[in-house]
Amino acid sequence: MGANNAREGAILAGNEVRIALKKVPTYIQGLDDILEGGLPAQRTTLIMGDPGSGKTVMSVEFLYRGALHGEPGIFLGFEESAASFRENALTMGWDLAALEADNRLFIMEGRLSPEVVISGKISLKPMLAVISGKAKEMGARRIALDALDVLLQLFDDPMQVRAELHLLNHWLAESGLTAVMTLKHRDGPSITTFQDFFHSIADCVINLDARVLNQVSTHRLRVIKYRGSSFGRNEYPYVITDTGIRTIPITAFELRHQPFGERISSGIPRLDALLDGGYYRASCVLLAGEPGTGKTLLATTFVRQVCSQGEKVLYLSLEESPEALVRNVTSAGIDLEPFCKAGALHFIGAMPEATGAEEHLLRLMSEVERIRPQHVVVDAISACERMGGKQAAFEYLMRLLNFLKERGITTIFTNQTSGSKVQMEISGNGISSMLDTVILISYVQGEGETNRIIQVLKSRGTGHSNQVREFIIGDDGLHIQDAYIGPGGVLTGTARRVQEARDAFEARRREAEIQAKRREIARLKAAMETGKARFRARLEAAEAELADLERERDIERAEREVRARMRGEKMSDEVGEMQK
Amino acid sequence: MTAQRDKESDNPTCYHLRLFVAGDEPNSRQAKETLNRLCEAYLKDHYTLEIVDVLEDYRAALENQILVAPTLIIAAPPPPITIIGSLSDTRRVLNALGLPASEEGL
Repeated sequence: MGANNAREGAILAGNEVRIALKKVPTYIQGLDDILEGGLPAQRTTLIMGDPGSGKTVMSVEFLYRGALHGEPGIFLGFEESAASFRENALTMGWDLAALEADNRLFIMEGRLSPEVVISGKISLKPMLAVISGKAKEMGARRIALDALDVLLQLFDDPMQVRAELHLLNHWLAESGLTAVMTLKHRDGPSITTFQDFFHSIADCVINLDARVLNQVSTHRLRVIKYRGSSFGRNEYPYVITDTGIRTIPITAFELRHQPFGERISSGIPRLDALLDGGYYRASCVLLAGEPGTGKTLLATTFVRQVCSQGEKVLYLSLEESPEALVRNVTSAGIDLEPFCKAGALHFIGAMPEATGAEEHLLRLMSEVERIRPQHVVVDAISACERMGGKQAAFEYLMRLLNFLKERGITTIFTNQTSGSKVQMEISGNGISSMLDTVILISYVQGEGETNRIIQVLKSRGTGHSNQVREFIIGDDGLHIQDAYIGPGGVLTGTARRVQEARDAFEARRREAEIQAKRREIARLKAAMETGKARFRARLEAAEAELADLERERDIERAEREVRARMRGEKMSDEVGEMQK
Repeated sequence: MTAQRDKESDNPTCYHLRLFVAGDEPNSRQAKETLNRLCEAYLKDHYTLEIVDVLEDYRAALENQILVAPTLIIAAPPPPITIIGSLSDTRRVLNALGLPASEEGL
């Protein structure tokens, strides 16, 4: 018996055999991806959220879309009147009354009139009796209990609430309905007890968070728990649109991206040469540069190029109105008007601050689906931060890029950088890993004039040139010229010509200097020879003097020894006396 | 007190009451008992009381939007008034019936 078998046995013994959990799709766009299929079938899901976060909309959409897919449902709302509820649903294009007439939906108003007199204790049994009866009658498969917390306020005894909720939970478990309950976040200890209980009876808990970030309202959805199932654990943005809730999960990230397509011309032959043939289809190209360097011109040059080949472009202009943009680029000889008229070029002009990043994204995504362009330009991504901060901009761009890459659409981003040390900024809101090509345009200051240089910083799948070129904006479009590379860096314009003359002079001066140096070395060599002779003489003299001194010393030593021998012992006595 | 009560009994007002209960659940039982006692004490001979068990007849509960039990609907005289609960707070019930609260007879 193998180890595997043994382990299987253990699992069987421990009663932990996993049966694939049955799920019910919500049919809400994106949500089923996050839930990896849908809500747990015949179980209870809790939707928590602040007022206005879309709990009710989500629970209604769950029923509405379910009903359209052949799963009748019951809605029991404790907060809104049924009439205003139907009206609100109509603004999303949901005709609930028609579904009700068809017996595919039943809306029950559980709102108690404020005039109701309360006297003594109550039980929720009638509610359960009513929904049981109705559910059987119409063959309901789904149920939503909206704002149950409002009803629970009728109870003043927490123990009783607990008992009633147990009853409800038991009933739901027996009913075989897939249930959604919504609950507001509230403060206060009694509510916390409710919440704990609700959490314990729900197999799946979804938290909806509506918050205002940098003055822009944003919505985030998070699945807090899902018993017996894995799920997307991130916070996902969602939007309440005029067709319901839409969420944007990042799923199988980058795996579904289309491979690069063929080369397409940037519209400037010499830039194509720098890029080893042009941009790739389905890649993402970032055009970065300081204000006024010509990013928009570079982008629109590309637009003109592809539009004249009969392709479609969607251009999101975040910095100026489409009209102003079309007018401004005519100064460089770029006429976009005919493409707009022919329906090849579509503009979306949007104020970044106008809505949250999710709404911007969804709007752009639905436009992409409607127009089906081959190329999308976002001008400029630096403006995306104004949709609600750095994080919002990052998420917006990542999701957008992911969406476009999945569809094999070429994306051109422009990004406004400031200052000269802009390596971080160039890559644009931390999305650098998603960028395939990065082109930087920058200013260089020269002889009383400012010029532009262009360089390809990155280009995936390309033996691109690292060289810097001069970028010239003419009346007739954009041009790229070989830049002069001298000791002071890249030179452009007048400075380039001045430098050429300066270099010629420099060459002559250098030649003269070389000659002079050679002469100096010859002189020094000669001086060294003369010096050598003089030192040799001095050395010889010194050596002779040393020899004389040594001879004198030797003679004197010898004389002392002779005298000492002549004095004999007396000398040693003398030495003894002296020692005393 | 007595005068007012006589005035009340002279009043031809007929009360129509509907009490929705959930089977033999304790609150419902208590409400039934309390209501019977109050009616006998205050509305003798000029009231009708209909007791509906929602566990037997969910459609009646549906039509009247009854979600909690017990629920007492004072259908007449108008305007209709709804009281929920076991009716343990009899002062409120009497008040809703337009009757003066009294300590005696309960």
